[in-house]
Amino acid sequence: MAEPLLDVVDLHVGFRIFEGYLRVLNGVRLAVDVGERVGLVGETGCGKTTTVKSILRVLPVPPARVTDGRIHYRGRDVLKMRQREAQALRRHELSAIFQDPLLSLNPVFTVGTQLRDIVRDSAIGKGKRLSRRVVEARCIGALRETGMPDPERIMTNYPIQLSGGMRQRVCIAEALSTNANLLLADEPTTNLDVTIQDQILRKLDELVDEHDASVVMITHSMGVVRDLTQRANIMYAGSIVETGETRKLLEHPKHPYTQGLMASVPKLTGEGISEGIPGRIPNYLDPPSGCRFHPRCIHRMEICSEESPPFFEIGDGHRAACYLYRRET
Amino acid sequence: MTEDRVLDIENLVKHFPTKRGVVRAVDDISLFVDSGDTLGLVGESGSGKTTTAQCVVGIYPPTSGRIAFEGSPIDVAFSRRPKELKRKIRIVFQDPGSSLNPKRTIKQILSVPLKVHGIGTPRDRLGIMSHLLETVELPPTEYLYKHPQAIGGGEKQMVAIARALATNPRFVVLDEPTSALDVSVQGKIINLLMRLGEELDLTYLFITHDLSLMRNVATRVAIMYLGKLCEIARTEAFFRTPKHPYTRMLLSSIPVVTEQEESLKPEKIVSKGEIPSPVDVPPGCSFHLRCPKRMPICSDVDPPMRATDDGRFVRCHLYGAESGEAPAAGLAEMGE
Repeated sequence: MAEPLLDVVDLHVGFRIFEGYLRVLNGVRLAVDVGERVGLVGETGCGKTTTVKSILRVLPVPPARVTDGRIHYRGRDVLKMRQREAQALRRHELSAIFQDPLLSLNPVFTVGTQLRDIVRDSAIGKGKRLSRRVVEARCIGALRETGMPDPERIMTNYPIQLSGGMRQRVCIAEALSTNANLLLADEPTTNLDVTIQDQILRKLDELVDEHDASVVMITHSMGVVRDLTQRANIMYAGSIVETGETRKLLEHPKHPYTQGLMASVPKLTGEGISEGIPGRIPNYLDPPSGCRFHPRCIHRMEICSEESPPFFEIGDGHRAACYLYRRET
Repeated sequence: MTEDRVLDIENLVKHFPTKRGVVRAVDDISLFVDSGDTLGLVGESGSGKTTTAQCVVGIYPPTSGRIAFEGSPIDVAFSRRPKELKRKIRIVFQDPGSSLNPKRTIKQILSVPLKVHGIGTPRDRLGIMSHLLETVELPPTEYLYKHPQAIGGGEKQMVAIARALATNPRFVVLDEPTSALDVSVQGKIINLLMRLGEELDLTYLFITHDLSLMRNVATRVAIMYLGKLCEIARTEAFFRTPKHPYTRMLLSSIPVVTEQEESLKPEKIVSKGEIPSPVDVPPGCSFHLRCPKRMPICSDVDPPMRATDDGRFVRCHLYGAESGEAPAAGLAEMGE
């Protein structure tokens, strides 16, 4: 098997705060192959964004601390890189789109100023100096690609003059204008209406195809993951609990958490909504021992509170971190 | 029929004058809610669904139009509403983090409606509050003396629901009660609301942008776009045969999670364009700029609301008797 583009192994990240030590990421395992689209699904506070920020090396240290694990990008350990190398990596290889474009766009510069900076800097990093005309053309091209009407005018606008959907398109244009190889999309459409979400996701899909990039799609929406990714990873309280081919996983969820989650999603078939999952996400100051889901799990066994479960193979790359699937040996 | 008509809105208009022009937040809508119904009012942001709700609970007096509750008109400002009316109509807001006072304990929060409406003697009230918390499945001894920040989002929303129920209302407006919450928590709240609706004989106006949720909750669904209603129908019929092109666009844009659901979605309508500003509403049908089935008439004449089969109303020229019909004639028959 070829080496994956991105390989996150056993990542542990915590935050030192006044009340103590927050043990947030608890052994995250995530692999992305070249050209693959991977989904990372989980609810609020399960550590999705912390994972992305660790990969980008933009976590504030301190209070954050990576206590264990590796993040390999094309075989190089991101965590061991020097600042300059990490910066170069962010400039050419990785790109990110965050949830709220109003927070990721600078309100006091026009869209054009910000986009030009990105295009120019990423070229400089590759040892090229672009003429003003080429930069302008690339910026307008990038905006046009995202389906933005009248890109010349948009370039002169400030972010607040644009609607939510347009702002997110600007972010996508910025992310893709550097020809990044791996796109980390952190809830890119959560704030948008469904019809606009549909447009943006379709555009993103097309552009990723054209640019031949790999994607990690972070979201809490099962539907978005199903539409856009080939492999899904379900995350709960700082660890990946289930991974597998997206459609198969959603059709036959194995981990009790995934099952509970799927039953809670309101469906168009109108079969009613399940009671949800009792309890709530644990306090990271003092997370439960063993499997972090065990206090909320209906299939709880003795071993669950004692040892944290490894992945058990269910078939075809479908794996669940749950002792229910341990084979008798 | 009028007996079990709880809410009847006729030609409701709410405009907000601003420096940049008049915001036509709600622009001539008519709908009714019968006793025991859950009417799902669905629309994207800026479509006017929250303004409609706020007119119903009296936060804004309508610019024009009539709102009747149990047969009597209530379209006056909140301060001039009789107390009895305020007891009967209650609202639950979207974000419990900002609708509950962070400096008060749950007990203090719940005691306000009891005091205002003179429910129980001061001595009884602790018992009443404990009972309220029990109805929303929160153990009273554990929660009464906590502050909102000490409990989770789902539990806060339960408290907000308990507060709404404190006055024993008849009609509850739910303004996106679960959109700030995770799905695993949403399930519990929705089931609780539905159970209480039956037990306490409540009628709901449920505002949301989540059509899949409405499929499971509402008895009737109304779709709003740019201050106007596009389509109202009973839930079953609505999802089986959506008629308005906007409804179809919405339905086909929902990301779903199973094959079975995929087969229930209407044929893919590629969504394009954005919602225009309510200050500058396009002439004719407000949806025509994004409509895949646009006809020449759509940019000139605003289609009237027409009744079609089994209690369904659609506002689209595609379903007109004659597409050349004058809009005024159509509006008159809108009532039913």
